[in-house]
Amino acid sequence: MNPTFGWLTLAPVLIAAVGAIGVLLLDALFPRLGRVHWILGALLLAGGAAAATPVLLDSAHRPRATLCTRGTCWYTVDHVGAGLQLVALLASACVALLAFPIRIPHERAPIQVALLLTSTSGAVAVAGAHDLGSFLVALEVSTLPTIALVVLRARHSAIDAGLSLLTTSLVSFAVLAMGAGLWFAATGTAQLESHAALQAGNNADLRRILVLAVGFIVAGLAFKLSLAPFHLWMPETVGASSVPVGALLSTTSKVAAVAGLVAVFRTVTDLSSASMAAVGVVAVLSMTVGNLMALRERGALRFLGWSTVAQAGWIVLPFTTATADSGRRSAQYLAVYILATIVAFSVITALAHAEGRQHVTRIASYGGVLRRHPFLGGALLLALLTYAGLPPAIAGLTAKVVALEPITAGHLWLLAVIAAANAMLGVAAYLRWVRIMLGASMDPEESDRVHPVHTAVVAVSAVALIVCSVVPQAALGLFG
Amino acid sequence: MVAALLVAPLAPLLGGTALIAADRSRLRIATAAAYGVALTLAVVALAAALLAVWKRPGIDHSWVPAIGMRLHLAIDGISAPLVVLTAAIGVLVVLHAGWREPSATYLGALLMVTGGALATFLVQDAIAFFLAFELVLVPMWLLIARFGDTTRPGERDRAATMFVLYTVLGSTLMLVGILVLVVSAGTSDLTHLQTAHLSRSTQTVVAALLMIGIGIKIPIWPLHSWLPAAHTAAPTGGSVLLAAVLLKMGTYAVVRLVVFPLPRGLHAIAPVVAVFAVAGILIGGLVCLVERSLKRLIAWSSVAHMGFVVLALMTGTTLGVQAALYGNIAHGVISALLFVVVGGLKKRWGDDDLQTARRALRQVSPRLGLALVVGFAGSLALPGLAGFWGEVLTLFSAWSPGDRPLTLFRVLAVAAATGSVLAAAYALRVLRTVWAGTDSLPDVVTDGGSVVAQDAHAVEWIVIAVLVAAVVALGVWPTPLMHQTAYGLAHVSRVLVGGAP
Repeated sequence: MNPTFGWLTLAPVLIAAVGAIGVLLLDALFPRLGRVHWILGALLLAGGAAAATPVLLDSAHRPRATLCTRGTCWYTVDHVGAGLQLVALLASACVALLAFPIRIPHERAPIQVALLLTSTSGAVAVAGAHDLGSFLVALEVSTLPTIALVVLRARHSAIDAGLSLLTTSLVSFAVLAMGAGLWFAATGTAQLESHAALQAGNNADLRRILVLAVGFIVAGLAFKLSLAPFHLWMPETVGASSVPVGALLSTTSKVAAVAGLVAVFRTVTDLSSASMAAVGVVAVLSMTVGNLMALRERGALRFLGWSTVAQAGWIVLPFTTATADSGRRSAQYLAVYILATIVAFSVITALAHAEGRQHVTRIASYGGVLRRHPFLGGALLLALLTYAGLPPAIAGLTAKVVALEPITAGHLWLLAVIAAANAMLGVAAYLRWVRIMLGASMDPEESDRVHPVHTAVVAVSAVALIVCSVVPQAALGLFG
Repeated sequence: MVAALLVAPLAPLLGGTALIAADRSRLRIATAAAYGVALTLAVVALAAALLAVWKRPGIDHSWVPAIGMRLHLAIDGISAPLVVLTAAIGVLVVLHAGWREPSATYLGALLMVTGGALATFLVQDAIAFFLAFELVLVPMWLLIARFGDTTRPGERDRAATMFVLYTVLGSTLMLVGILVLVVSAGTSDLTHLQTAHLSRSTQTVVAALLMIGIGIKIPIWPLHSWLPAAHTAAPTGGSVLLAAVLLKMGTYAVVRLVVFPLPRGLHAIAPVVAVFAVAGILIGGLVCLVERSLKRLIAWSSVAHMGFVVLALMTGTTLGVQAALYGNIAHGVISALLFVVVGGLKKRWGDDDLQTARRALRQVSPRLGLALVVGFAGSLALPGLAGFWGEVLTLFSAWSPGDRPLTLFRVLAVAAATGSVLAAAYALRVLRTVWAGTDSLPDVVTDGGSVVAQDAHAVEWIVIAVLVAAVVALGVWPTPLMHQTAYGLAHVSRVLVGGAP
């Protein structure tokens, strides 16, 4: 029996994947296009995003499925999945636009664009994958190109960081593969579906194997999500790679990991509370480590890396209570985090382009940025307040409420109190940067005009963040 | 009418944001223009608040369905006095800022704090309440960190950071409690949170979490350590808002989130909290007897006064809640007056050390001297001034505390009365050193200006006069406010013991 093909359903993955090949072909035909490829890539990603708009879904209860044979479908997108795809594609489109003005050798641009498109298609595919095989492949497709993107900056530190990322990816793949094997052993199927998991859960022996399988898969994904204690690569890599690539690592790559978590936890809603508690421990550990290290960090990019570690803790917090909507809550927090991250990285890219990377990567250099560039500085301020969850950035505050609600509903008091303490630590870390921005001026020696494309990306993403602060439902409603 | 509800918080919030943004950008606006705009906005907010209090309109719209947050604004007898107090203080602090060339950022931050506090008292949705609670943090932090005491920048920065961190921790703990209530009640409507069906043990845990969280904000001893530092470092406007408005948000939250929805949980923890509150009264009073910094002294006296308010709330009686609400307003007015006067003195003296020998305030600046006397007399709860009713009713309610342990609360009432005696002692100490002064000093004013120029004039004098009038008015004519809160309580609560006084 031939599988069905829903081209529209597959479009978000296909546009990015085929686009990657198309870009390389185009380069073979017209080798002098150079940086124009970035615009092409951004357009392709925007097209993919249009195809992934969750509005096209009939309802939350009727996911779009395709590649079906004999009643099992290999690709299914529900509301949460479609929302994640949309977020990943839009984030990557912003990254492409951010990279456009940066001067690089002509021949390297199409390769980088192809890598970006491939990585994004992988992340998008994870959100639809419903079997272990495509799940693992999609995750790796999303990870491996990022290594190349990091290394292509061709600095010593970037190569070191690429090596660290490569090692991390290999380890996490091994752990994931181990988990997948155990899953197959426990459930007897390669499908990620709940009734097989339920059956395995009823048998005491199989249940143990299943718990182990979930543990391994979650650990593997924790590497990619940079959760403590699997986080060390994150600040190093973000600090050493080019700024737009840092943005990619902090946004689209995280979507892939969260999509993986959603897929796993959708199938095992009634697993033992011990393994759920493990998620809680990892979550609060990440928050604490990330916030404490961010408090001491002096480099702007490394600060954002540590901040990502802390935010990753908030992102997985809802999974501590495996209810039906913990995946949605996690995705909602992720969406707000990604919006703020895009704003922050856009501002840093724009400033790095105008004032030089050396100057901009030190937090101390942000003194007086509100006077030099009131618009960019204001956007960065809003992004930092969103991370901290402080009004006027109401989007960040609602995201914190979204993440905390399942914990409190489950009466997990200790976890809730530690999370509250971390809300405080986070505020301390982010306000440190805000203080520097309001403090003594540190003007650069020389400065160019900010590139208009950078200004445009900052403007669009900052407006989106403001809209989400007035109507938080705009971001939260993406996931049904 | 509905527009008034929206204008009251939004005019200062948006206007304040605009002022701060304009001050950052290249088109920096003139001080006079900024002052005019800020004063207009504050007056508009006051007018809107008064209109809303009079007409009592309501708004209830869906806002963020994903977290069950609604845009639900209304006023009842409990919030009405606080709304008026906040809006009025908002006008006074902006007016007072005109005394010394204010920057647009300073005015904007004052407005934003006022707007956020108004929003806190207007919202009827528990999650939006948390949001409004957080709204005041960043502008207040800005006030302390940017415009605070320039003589000790290190301490000022530490105070500003401590203020934000303590408050964020407190409000996030409060959020945890709110979410438990909202999830189990199935609604986020503040007036319907009573329907939450929680077991006694869960009620106790949630009440404890909420009391710790809100206790940081109020503050209850031993969670108070941010307050003296913040007050010492803050500029006058910031101190006034902090004492008169921000602390009230804490006690209001206790009424809304603990006293009404969690009667059984409160019953379990009330004795402990009451003991802490009375400890605060006594320790605050004792510290005030030896404290050298005048601003810090008033901050410590705030800890003592809020101890009275919390003790009243812990009795769980109608009389107690009424005493607390009255004490709230009274402390708001008195502390605002004291901080305006003391802020002015600190500016004139250069510091606020009580050990330095100075000429008698009654001779150097008779107006400030009079205001200081009224302020401290109100603070020691002299009959006929605002402070009296709140503290006397608190002692009454603690003496017959409904279903709470009788002996303990009577002991606490006696201890709190002792605290009142301490208040009298430290008030007289300050008045003796500052008002009566040192006679032995030569007739020369040390910092140059003539004797008369040192007194309060123009806007400073207007602000002081209004506050003095309010302290006296609340003292001699308490009935309107009492009626207002009694009416509000009768409508809202079925859990309180005992009728209206």
